[in-house]
Amino acid sequence: MSGMVDFKINGRDIQAQRGETILQAARREGIYIPTMCYISKTTPCASCRMCVVEVKGVDGFVLSCNTPAANGIEVSTDSHDLHVERTNIMRLYDVNHPLECGVCDKSGECDLQNKTLEFNVGTQDFSARDERRTIEHWGLINYDPALCILCEKCTHVCNEVIGDDAITIQFGGYSSKVIPKNSDTLDCTFCGECIAVCPVGALVSSDFQYKSNAWELNKIPATCAHCSAGCPLEYEVKHTSIDLADDTIYRVTNNFEFTSLCGAGRFGFDFDIKAEKDISAFSKATEALKNASAIRFTSMITNEEAWLLNRLKDKLGIKLFNEDARLFAEFMSAYSSVSGKKHYSADLSQLKRADGIIMIGSMIASDNPGVRYAMTTAAKHNGAKIIYAHPVEDALMQNVVTQFLKYEVATEEGVIVLLAKYILSRCEVDSKTNEYLENLDVGYLSAESNIGEDELELMMKSLSRTRNNILVVGIDVISHKRATNIAKLVALIEKYSNFSVLIVPKDVNTLGVSLICDLDKDKAVKNTVGYNADGDFIISSLPGHDLTIPALNQQEGTFTSIDKRVLATNPALSFGGYELNDIASVFGLGYRHTIDITKELPLDCGFKRVEFDELNNFLSELGEDVRGYKLTEIEINNPSDLQEIDDLPEFNGTIVYHVNPVLQFNSYTNLTKLLEKDTSLRGSAQFAIAARIKDGDNIEITLPNQVVLMRKFKEDASLKGMIALNPIFDMGHEIIKYRFQKSQIKRVNNE
Amino acid sequence: MSIEQFKNRNISDDYYLVDIDDYPTTNLGKFTRVIKRTFKAELLVGLWVVMREMLKFNIHTVQYPKEKLPIGPRYRAVHEMKRLWESGTERCIGCGLCEKICISDCIRIDTRIDEESRKEVSEYSINLGRCIFCGYCAEVCPELAITHGGRYENASEQRAHFIMYDDMLTPMDMLKAGAQKEFEGFGAITPHEDESVKKTPLSY
Repeated sequence: MSGMVDFKINGRDIQAQRGETILQAARREGIYIPTMCYISKTTPCASCRMCVVEVKGVDGFVLSCNTPAANGIEVSTDSHDLHVERTNIMRLYDVNHPLECGVCDKSGECDLQNKTLEFNVGTQDFSARDERRTIEHWGLINYDPALCILCEKCTHVCNEVIGDDAITIQFGGYSSKVIPKNSDTLDCTFCGECIAVCPVGALVSSDFQYKSNAWELNKIPATCAHCSAGCPLEYEVKHTSIDLADDTIYRVTNNFEFTSLCGAGRFGFDFDIKAEKDISAFSKATEALKNASAIRFTSMITNEEAWLLNRLKDKLGIKLFNEDARLFAEFMSAYSSVSGKKHYSADLSQLKRADGIIMIGSMIASDNPGVRYAMTTAAKHNGAKIIYAHPVEDALMQNVVTQFLKYEVATEEGVIVLLAKYILSRCEVDSKTNEYLENLDVGYLSAESNIGEDELELMMKSLSRTRNNILVVGIDVISHKRATNIAKLVALIEKYSNFSVLIVPKDVNTLGVSLICDLDKDKAVKNTVGYNADGDFIISSLPGHDLTIPALNQQEGTFTSIDKRVLATNPALSFGGYELNDIASVFGLGYRHTIDITKELPLDCGFKRVEFDELNNFLSELGEDVRGYKLTEIEINNPSDLQEIDDLPEFNGTIVYHVNPVLQFNSYTNLTKLLEKDTSLRGSAQFAIAARIKDGDNIEITLPNQVVLMRKFKEDASLKGMIALNPIFDMGHEIIKYRFQKSQIKRVNNE
Repeated sequence: MSIEQFKNRNISDDYYLVDIDDYPTTNLGKFTRVIKRTFKAELLVGLWVVMREMLKFNIHTVQYPKEKLPIGPRYRAVHEMKRLWESGTERCIGCGLCEKICISDCIRIDTRIDEESRKEVSEYSINLGRCIFCGYCAEVCPELAITHGGRYENASEQRAHFIMYDDMLTPMDMLKAGAQKEFEGFGAITPHEDESVKKTPLSY
């Protein structure tokens, strides 16, 4: 095939994809080429020149990291000359490198240390007059220019994967260093990815710095418990002290070569809870369950807990309330009725490879950073066209987004149907659908949603050449009043066009809960038991409860991630109290271990008969996600028809959008020590004028359901328009369905 | 003591001022000094002293690392874990004070209850790469179990060598031979230190 290239490395015949670099092919074949600056998930930095190879017939050395393999070339990766070249590079790297390995955070897992030993650089033959270099303190991140080797991994990751584009290299020969871009101090989302990729100890977590050496920590492979992206991470634990024999999480690391982690995953790890077996609270809990009419719970639980809750429901004949998962399940069932499939089609790895993305109904940088990073990767690496439809223009996405479609609040139904009309105009559809789309009142929809036809045409132009298209559907769509019809329209787009669909579940296990549990509509009933949620009797791992259960970093179990993957998580910390399995045992539903349930999860939802211990929790050497297993696709034959588009609602006045600041997700992230807890209402200058408030005012927000919130107002120059952002991570279990709300805002007297 | 005595710094009659000429300032002066130094054969004076001492076998050079000077008991080098003289059991009772006081977080201690219901140290390590040899651990130890020893060479091929409890613990044969050195307490002076005490030129 023409897409393949045949060549030789060290005399071995190698086949590579066209465009694949020599280094990639060599790594795949297990041939070692040393590198210092190469990182698989970005374009080559090409700053270290360690990866040089010789190509027969070519003068000088060739950089294997950015040279594509060509037909018939003969590459050799190891020769005396190459060794001398590489050794010299290592000697240069070692010039004046501070000898603080004893206390350096990176010591033991340091690329520079490893390569220095590998090339046997024992002395410093070159010298340079050292300069005074001061350590920078950038909040959660510290930067020591003296340790920096200027590999540029951090800037590449920040720009190409995260999308913050917050750091850059200040070039200046020997005094080059990493500096914040366009700002005096680091102003970014603090994902900490630069810390992870730093091959030396130059960029470190200010919290972890000088706490421990790498080799003293035990790594616990787990899955992040904050959002549905299901990022793999490792909790690194060490015992606390002799009078506190339990472990403490010292830091969180990830396989940075292939995966990314947001700041909540990296810095928000201390949400665990301590407990002992409290027999009286336990018996009260079982008593409360016997008398309960319903259990209300959140989706921050494992699949196994969800399954037990569902068994409890059947056994006790009570109701299960979980609005977030119920809305998701309703959305999915409407979606399935048109698409004929149980699950949505795309996943994050497809999103990374996509070249056309439409994102609707989510402030994705705070809702699901995993999706954001995948979109950034797609934009920077495949030149993907990204259409971002949302009432709030997210300044964080500016570097990535091709076109903002700013629609009016609550007109998602109209926007989607317009999208469907325009996308499907290029495709062959059945007559019924055709008729439906033809009969739309485009003028009305366009006027009410504020999406002009020229904007849609521009979008179609951007997407005219793209082949891997994905429609990303966010929480605002799922929680919309007309969600079922929107779901059908989304399925329609998928059915007839080349678009795949990715639906973003809100919480870590919304998808799992929606599949496993048979949920009821939440009504204010008496005698509810709250499971990590509000109720008359609260069983929770959050403060203010009647019985303590373990938090998600203290549990063994599985999550179902946005990738439709069942991922295992392991307990980083011990827990002395009771867990749901113990409660279920009282009702005769218990298992020996909670993880015995993993293989019992319902097959008709796509789960497989796989034991917990058989679930992998790592990536392959080449970065393929081999964790857990993927849900099997289930055919659904329950067709239903599209409904007429409802009148698009109008939202005027001061609108509050309930969205968390980046890095905050829920009550658990609110418990953590390191993550910033800014609870102020952020709005534009225009909003401030309309609401008659100004920066720094204490305000009172009255929501439609008469809930009153006390906030401080903060004017945010990056925002525009009449929508202010209200954080909800500190509001506990407050259930807000559709996140845009008309609200009354009143200034209260400053004390 | 009167002020005259106080100001008198001539503590011995042997003291004399070295006769140092003023530095030459003129070119001729500088040239003369070079000529003088070249032909005066001052080098031979020094060489003669070396030769004389060599012939007398009166050599003061310490042949490090074969020879080592005794080190003061105050010196804070690599830690030692002591045993009880009578029974030979480890002195450490696993109280964990050293771990708590350690300011560079380099001590790791773990204990368990053994078969005889006694507390036993199951794990003890000091990460010498992080240790700053402040001596707090030795100072806080209620049993004089951990002390600083005199082994000041910190080079090894593996970092594991720096944290081995067994290396720090007094070997049994050494204990039986009575060679375990007791900690003399903070402020202890080097043996025979009083013999080398001299008056300083600033006697007051």
